[in-house]
Amino acid sequence: MLLPRRVPLLSFILLVVGANADSFENTAIVRTVDLGGSVVQVATTFAVKALEANARVYTIALGDAEMQKTSWLEARVKGQATPLAVTDHPGSTDNGVHLVDIILPKPLALNATLNIILDAIQTHATFPWPERASQQEPQSLKYGSDLFVLSPYKTLVQRTKIKSPTPNIHGFSTPEKMEDFTFEEPVTKSGATITYGPYNNIVPSANAAFVKKYQRPVQVHFEYDYPVGEVSKLLRTAEISHWGANLNIQDEIWLRNAGPELKGHFSRLEHQTQAFYNRAASHVIPGLTLHLPAGIRNTYYYDLVGNVSTSRLRTAPSVPKDSPNKQYSVLELKPRYPIMGGWNYSFTLGWDAPLADSASWDKSTGKYIVEIPVLTPFPATVVNDAELKIILPEGATDVDFATPFVAHSTSFSTHTTYLDTTGRPAITLRFTDLTEKHALPLYVSYKVPLSAHLKKPIAVAVAFFSVFVFGLAARRIDLRIHQK
Amino acid sequence: MPQAIPLPSDLSPATVANTASLLRIIALSLISGAAIASRLFAVINFESIIHEFDPWFNYRATRVLASKGFYEFWNWFDPTAWYPLGRVVGGTVYPGLMATSGVIYYGLRALNLPVDIRNICVLLAPGFSALTAWATYMFTKEMKDESAGLLAAAFIGIVPGYISRSVAGSYDNEAIAIFLLMFTFFCWIKALKLGSALFGTVAAVFYFYMVAAWGGYVFITNMIPLHALVLILMGRFTSRLYVAYSSWYVIGTLASMQVPFVGFQPVSTSEHMAALGVFGLLQIVAFTQLVRSHVSSKQFQDILFVALVSAGVLGVAAFVGLTYKGTIAPWTGRFYSLWDTGYAKKYIPIIASVSEHQPTAWPSFFMDLQFLIFLFPAGVIMCFHQLRDEHVFVIIYAVMASYFAGVMVRLMLTLTPVVCVAAAVAFSSLLDTYLDAHEPEPEASATDSAASVDTGKKPKKEKAATGSALADLVAAATPTKKGDAPKFKGVYGTDTRFMIVMNAIAMLSFFVFHCTWATANAYSSPSVVLASQNQDGSQHIIDDFREAYYWLRQNTPETAVVMSWWDYGYQIAGMADRPTLVDNNTWNNTHIATVGKAMSSSEEVAYPILRKHDVDYVLVIFGGLLGYSGDDINKFLWMVRIAQGVWPEEIQEPNYFTPQGEYRVDSMASNAMKNSLMYKMSYYRFSELFGGGQAVDRVRNQQLPKEGPTLDVLDEAYTTENWIVRIYQVRKEDLLGRDLKSANAFAKGKKRKRSKPASRRRALSAAAST
Repeated sequence: MLLPRRVPLLSFILLVVGANADSFENTAIVRTVDLGGSVVQVATTFAVKALEANARVYTIALGDAEMQKTSWLEARVKGQATPLAVTDHPGSTDNGVHLVDIILPKPLALNATLNIILDAIQTHATFPWPERASQQEPQSLKYGSDLFVLSPYKTLVQRTKIKSPTPNIHGFSTPEKMEDFTFEEPVTKSGATITYGPYNNIVPSANAAFVKKYQRPVQVHFEYDYPVGEVSKLLRTAEISHWGANLNIQDEIWLRNAGPELKGHFSRLEHQTQAFYNRAASHVIPGLTLHLPAGIRNTYYYDLVGNVSTSRLRTAPSVPKDSPNKQYSVLELKPRYPIMGGWNYSFTLGWDAPLADSASWDKSTGKYIVEIPVLTPFPATVVNDAELKIILPEGATDVDFATPFVAHSTSFSTHTTYLDTTGRPAITLRFTDLTEKHALPLYVSYKVPLSAHLKKPIAVAVAFFSVFVFGLAARRIDLRIHQK
Repeated sequence: MPQAIPLPSDLSPATVANTASLLRIIALSLISGAAIASRLFAVINFESIIHEFDPWFNYRATRVLASKGFYEFWNWFDPTAWYPLGRVVGGTVYPGLMATSGVIYYGLRALNLPVDIRNICVLLAPGFSALTAWATYMFTKEMKDESAGLLAAAFIGIVPGYISRSVAGSYDNEAIAIFLLMFTFFCWIKALKLGSALFGTVAAVFYFYMVAAWGGYVFITNMIPLHALVLILMGRFTSRLYVAYSSWYVIGTLASMQVPFVGFQPVSTSEHMAALGVFGLLQIVAFTQLVRSHVSSKQFQDILFVALVSAGVLGVAAFVGLTYKGTIAPWTGRFYSLWDTGYAKKYIPIIASVSEHQPTAWPSFFMDLQFLIFLFPAGVIMCFHQLRDEHVFVIIYAVMASYFAGVMVRLMLTLTPVVCVAAAVAFSSLLDTYLDAHEPEPEASATDSAASVDTGKKPKKEKAATGSALADLVAAATPTKKGDAPKFKGVYGTDTRFMIVMNAIAMLSFFVFHCTWATANAYSSPSVVLASQNQDGSQHIIDDFREAYYWLRQNTPETAVVMSWWDYGYQIAGMADRPTLVDNNTWNNTHIATVGKAMSSSEEVAYPILRKHDVDYVLVIFGGLLGYSGDDINKFLWMVRIAQGVWPEEIQEPNYFTPQGEYRVDSMASNAMKNSLMYKMSYYRFSELFGGGQAVDRVRNQQLPKEGPTLDVLDEAYTTENWIVRIYQVRKEDLLGRDLKSANAFAKGKKRKRSKPASRRRALSAAAST
């Protein structure tokens, strides 16, 4: 099996070690779920005790549904910022449990303990319920998850905290027949937090038998006061131009309000009244605030019928490549109409950025290296399908690239545009379920020989020259039959 | 020879000629630049967007052409227009404009210059205006000389009368047609002058292009024959005329019949008969010339008499017979309205309802032409001075175009080129006279000058008394020519020269200011986007139209049929991409009247019409909140009138006025008005917006009743930010089979009045129990 989907690709050491149930013991597992709209953050803390010396690979397990939802996974030791290497577990089983190996920074001694934090981002984990809401009604979502955190090791105590953004929780499921693990209430609610557990003495659970016997889904129905945005499709084109010293980035965005569908019809009167009394409906997307790179120019924002005149842009001056202070240009983007539940809005956003801000030249190899962001972060929004097309300068050779996470597919093509003769090499990458976390840079390196740089001026010069030659000749040709 | 200003005398003629031609090239390129630049106000103030209504259709058609290729476009049947009828677009459209853009688009793509088709469409008109300036230069050069040509090119480049139809974004047939018009005329003049079949053919080819591009080609179809006819009547028949006309007519007519929309019209409709007739006449005259050179004079007169009489009788009989049999189509309504300005108003409301078909108001002549309108008659009179064949053409053109421009605002466009040409001729003569550095001969000056000025005046006065005033004007207006002018006439000294030239330059600069002002303020608004000012003076864009159209495009099913008044049909098709019932093509009066009827009748009457036409959404334009006066309530009377034309017993215009004859929308409004779908859709929930205050319609300045209208068969689906566009969804039939009114009342919790069916049921059950 390949790497789990969308697991950060880091340099890893290949280790052929099976998930030995005896190598570790979980003294405690605490899972914290921060509920949201299209993006749910899950942080799981594993308090680990090594049962054998020199244990280096800690294995975690994800259920089928969880695997589907998880779009981002990152493990680190508590208190440390550097993420740990994460790889797919070799020979991972297919019986509803997926195993992922975490390579520890240094082997643990016998009985040594370590706290590992696993940060995960889940997308499409909530759905609106009720499915329709009128303009005045609040928006409620349902979040579903598995009750137990699976692990190939024995677990002494485990609990799951689900935090809702509002204390208004309409309901949650109560697991039954939990006598094997606890004699107290299996679930408690306090304020905006629902706690499942603590459950004690859980046998190694990353197997089909346990899943079948004990694992069960839990659901939380909660009110959510922010719109649930979803980008169903994103096409990003990044065009590198050495002649213009320009990096053009253009996003075609299909935005959708994935909250409850609008019940009845949209009433402008209602909308304006709500805006007047400053209690706008929570599930309307009135606009987006995007952080674009600093130093951009010629920003454009249009849709199929032309320029959208309702946006504001505050550009920050260009910052040098290695400067520590991050600055952004802020784009307040307002669609033509407020996006109610279930409505769509597609648009195109693009800008030019100075190439010097993101490109550098490697003297030793003679290659250019350009940094291209995979996407512009959309706050609390998931991008279902993303396609990134990188267009390199005409005549670029030795093309190489490194993605921050694995792409679904990669293809190469030739793109022909202004004054090209042979066309430019282009790389197309496809991704799914991207979130803010995935707004990472991608690196492309390539060589451009001098002859490729000169192609354009030569082509233009030849074209003009031939026109003049034709004119010169045409003036001297006499087609008259009767010479005067 | 004495000179007022010292001139360099040691220049070789070749140097002068070369410098002059270089200067001309520079001047022409600057004129082209100015012509293009002054049309870009709309792009700079707003954006690169297609304007108004018709251009949206042209743009949409061009996109089809660009994406699917020419043959697909040729066979394009558009099922979304005129729902459910559809429209055969390829056969009912002048394809010249789209083909031009398509050729440019494909040409640029072949050169690896992928330019967006929208930008080509937006910038086509400015680009062609540069070509028009060049064509006008060539044309005027034939009339007088190069300097007049340059003036004419500059005039046509920036004159508002032409800019009004060719700003960036006004992607309409006229954008390329004026260039084609001028170039065809130039080729015709050239062909006539040289007796050249080549230029006749070039004229025919451009005539074909014109036919493919604009319905106004009929103007050429009649102008050239008229010119030929007048020349024959003036006794100026030459073999040059014969060659030029025959080559133009034969090739041009055959070519023009290749355009599907024109088809056999050139041989069957009355508009084209003049060209055919003159062609026949030319053959007869030429044949007569031939015969005359072979027979004696007496015999010739006899033959001529018999031939003329029989040909005349035969011709008239054939014409009448064909008209009677219907082979030659009867005259069309738009044609009648050219001659009788009241005709349309009486018989064809749909033509009269279009603002550009109204007669021209006087101020618009000044607005569109400024000082050229004063110079125009002077220039025409100057044409009488030499009265060569081409001058006759300008005179005829001037007379015809002046008349037509007076009849229809739209035809101001055809007048503008001839005004520019004539004004340039006049102005250039003035400058020729006063910039000529040569002073009159000295021997005529010193002693005689005072006396000769007197004597110079006297004979003129006598002449004026006896001869025609026109001749006097011609004499006064013609420039003094070196050879034949009396020696005592002329301009002395530099002061007079300076004054006149300064005055002329001042006129020119005022003209430039006026043109810039008129272009920027009057002709550069896209009308899809409205501009207003924020409190701090910055521009605020009111973008309700695109908001609504884009909402339709993104959030309704692709097959949802939208009903609106025909003005918005092309825009809905272009921007919202949804089927429409009627659009700006207005070929089917009944269909438009159906929409008019639905809009102007009550809900009960309108609902079956809406359902039968599968209407899903109804779109109305309402300006009452913002004070946008071009809204549907102001156009409502035209809907009523057009509907009345088809259903006179159901819709009557007087019902929509108050008994006092006022057009009101407030509480005094007539019942027909208040119950009409249009009224209800416009004011639905409008008074609630004022939150208990008095609701005011800002367009009509009338106060609306507190209780707004209610709707039973429609649901409000979307209203734009400034309430300019309101979209309603048509309800489906009630699932329980009730009529929508009672279903609505039930939903609102109103008790249904006890009526007969209930009691009958009780009676039935009572009967059953016994």
